[in-house]
Amino acid sequence: MNTVLPEDLIPALQALIPEERLLTRREQIAPYECDALPVYCERPRVVVLAASEEDVVAVAKLCYRLKIPLVSRGAGTGLSAGAKPYRAGVLLVTAPMNRILSLDAPSMLARVEPGVINQQITAAAAAHGLYYAPDPSSQIACSIGGNVAENAGGVHCLKYGVTVHNVIALRLVTIEGEVLEIGGECLAQPGYDLLALVHGSEGCLGIVTQVTVKLLPLPARTRTLMADFGTVREAADAVSAIVRAGVVPAALEMMDQLAISATEAFCQAGYALDAAAILLIDLDGDPREVDQELALVEALLDRSGAWRTQRAGCEDQRQRWWKGRKSAFPAIGRLSPDYYCIDGTVPRRRIGDVLEAIEGFAEQHGLQVANVFHAGDGNLHPIIMFDAGETGALERVEKLAADILEYCIEVGGTITGEHGVGVEKINQMAVQFTDEEIGQFLALKEALDPPWLLNRGKLIPTLAHCREYRALRHRHD
Amino acid sequence: MTDRDSSMDLQESVRAALAGSAEPIAIAGSGSRSAFDLQPESASLDLRAHTGVIDYEPDELVLRVRAGTRLDTLRELLAAEGQQFAADIPAPATHSTIGGAVACGWDGPARAFSVSLRDTVLGCRMINGRGHTVNFGGQVMKNVAGYDCARLQVGAFGTLGVLLDVSLRVSPQPEVSVTRSFDVDTGDLSQWWQRTRALRPLISATCHCDGQLHLRLSGRAVAVEDAVALLGGEASAFDWAALRDLRQDFFHGDALACVYLPRGVSMPVERGTALLEWEGARIWVRGGDHGALQQAAAACGGFVQVLRGAPLPPQSAAADWHRRIKAAFDPSGVFNQRIFHERFVAGDRESCR
Repeated sequence: MNTVLPEDLIPALQALIPEERLLTRREQIAPYECDALPVYCERPRVVVLAASEEDVVAVAKLCYRLKIPLVSRGAGTGLSAGAKPYRAGVLLVTAPMNRILSLDAPSMLARVEPGVINQQITAAAAAHGLYYAPDPSSQIACSIGGNVAENAGGVHCLKYGVTVHNVIALRLVTIEGEVLEIGGECLAQPGYDLLALVHGSEGCLGIVTQVTVKLLPLPARTRTLMADFGTVREAADAVSAIVRAGVVPAALEMMDQLAISATEAFCQAGYALDAAAILLIDLDGDPREVDQELALVEALLDRSGAWRTQRAGCEDQRQRWWKGRKSAFPAIGRLSPDYYCIDGTVPRRRIGDVLEAIEGFAEQHGLQVANVFHAGDGNLHPIIMFDAGETGALERVEKLAADILEYCIEVGGTITGEHGVGVEKINQMAVQFTDEEIGQFLALKEALDPPWLLNRGKLIPTLAHCREYRALRHRHD
Repeated sequence: MTDRDSSMDLQESVRAALAGSAEPIAIAGSGSRSAFDLQPESASLDLRAHTGVIDYEPDELVLRVRAGTRLDTLRELLAAEGQQFAADIPAPATHSTIGGAVACGWDGPARAFSVSLRDTVLGCRMINGRGHTVNFGGQVMKNVAGYDCARLQVGAFGTLGVLLDVSLRVSPQPEVSVTRSFDVDTGDLSQWWQRTRALRPLISATCHCDGQLHLRLSGRAVAVEDAVALLGGEASAFDWAALRDLRQDFFHGDALACVYLPRGVSMPVERGTALLEWEGARIWVRGGDHGALQQAAAACGGFVQVLRGAPLPPQSAAADWHRRIKAAFDPSGVFNQRIFHERFVAGDRESCR
């Protein structure tokens, strides 16, 4: 598709972008070869560090004119290789667009550039007694533009929703270089729900250049419970019991034994090393409601077979428990030369079945899996531990990941709750969706990016790819 | 509740229209929203016979239901389990359907303090303009596989396809809801909105009409009772369901429009002709001059939706994207074409790509 000689691209970019923000040398480009899923790497032709919407528009227009593939990227913390560059293409980095443009306490809105780090919004809002709710584990590093592209979640989305529920307006640059204003500051919008279409579109429909997020009042009280269980199944059943009783915790997280021991060794969070599973539960809101629900949840945990339930005695202990949960990935990374994190969502009542199945699959492939996940949402994050240096290890990991994701589909779930499809889960799209459904996605892509320049080949597989993968699967069955 | 799957018949009808052996399709549910200027001139595809609950697991907080199912029936079903729709969904008549609610995408008084209907749509099954029955989203809380085509149907007024069933998030019912009323002049409202903000998360609805401000608090009894004692005001039997369902006298008349404003912005209104919800972020106006109202709203960063009376031209931003999305779902322009041009993109001079 790339009929333009590479040498035409660079001079054209040089005319648009100052030299210091145009990276072409091998050592400059190296850090941009992959996102946080480094098994998928590629060196782009050029990296552009965008400083403004004008830069984004100029680069989009140029790519459109020259028919050059374009990948946009924020902080590069994505976990599905959605930011993997194309060899002949441009990688457009919006991370330098990192200003908070306005923060209006009375309307509880903040208007920010896409490169603003998730946690910086909350930090800036704190002075007004407000915060930004979605909190992916990477919140100290991930940017809000990437959060929109992936429709990022986090530990608090059971009660407060994922990114799409917390963004009210966007500016988006199309591949033609047109700037669209999507959504607005009202609580309703005329027209189609373009906000929904753009969230989770993984940079396939346009490049986000501005985001208006909703802020929430900081809860008057937050209390944290930790419960230890002798079996994973009992912990999973406790999750359903809590939701069934009419309590919607702000966070409801589970870790299994392997994740507990890795984390405990890493940061001494204070977890019980002999527990088969622990639940971490945040209750927040009106102080009187929190106190009542705290007692209710403690009773439910007790009835569900928890060995021990503790309330965090002070803010320090609370932070330590949560720090453990949020550093589970790097903690597991210390135990194993490499790790690979998966992201399926299943109906809550099937969590126990799925965890047991994962254990079986892992055994078949001779691999170990740690589980740390958003139990309240049924959003699993099995972490496969392996050594990429070992011959055939990555292939075994990919097969195990495919088995797990396809089992998630089988029990009525989905192949991705919050990490996105990217390059990584492109095969499983063929299992989750029919040709007619994939065809509808492709029609949308064709309509909004007619030359197929934005993240081509990611998120939505071609119909030929789907048939090929299904045939391959069928042969293995 | 009647349990009937008419999806094969519906697909047949769509295919007939696509093959040119039938007229383009105008989709209808119960028609209860037609009093508000939404009825297609001659409905040709009736969803009322496509009814029933496909799946409801109270533990999962998810309800999957056929589009023609009545909202009142569903509310009863949920209430029996101590649950409710997570969004506040208007039902203008007892026979209003969930499909109509999703197609219109309207929200009730609680929206400003919780979530919108579109925020609660987890998945849908629909017939698109190629005559294919397709499923998007699912029955789980978090799902980012593919474009969010399910949520895109909310407020699309059936212009992208025939909605067969929808999966919605539900939530626990609050333990109690209490309403207090106060005599408040319009000029004092912005001060009141500061007070109501301090009542979060218990405040669940506000309504100002005829010099009276009604506040609803919902949650655990222990918290609501305490907050009410501090708040004062008169005990009130204000009918929030009648407000939600647009059944109050205020909503009768020849012209009715709804002004949406950014939070914290106020727009002058005439007493007796306006009803304010959502801490002033939504104002219903009856008997107004819709053109003038639109100008005033736009100056405040808002917009106007006309429910009855003189229509306004479509106000969707990104008209070109609307045309392209419509064509991607409905390449032959077979679904609710008149509504598309009235509400989304004016005129049909420019053909869809």
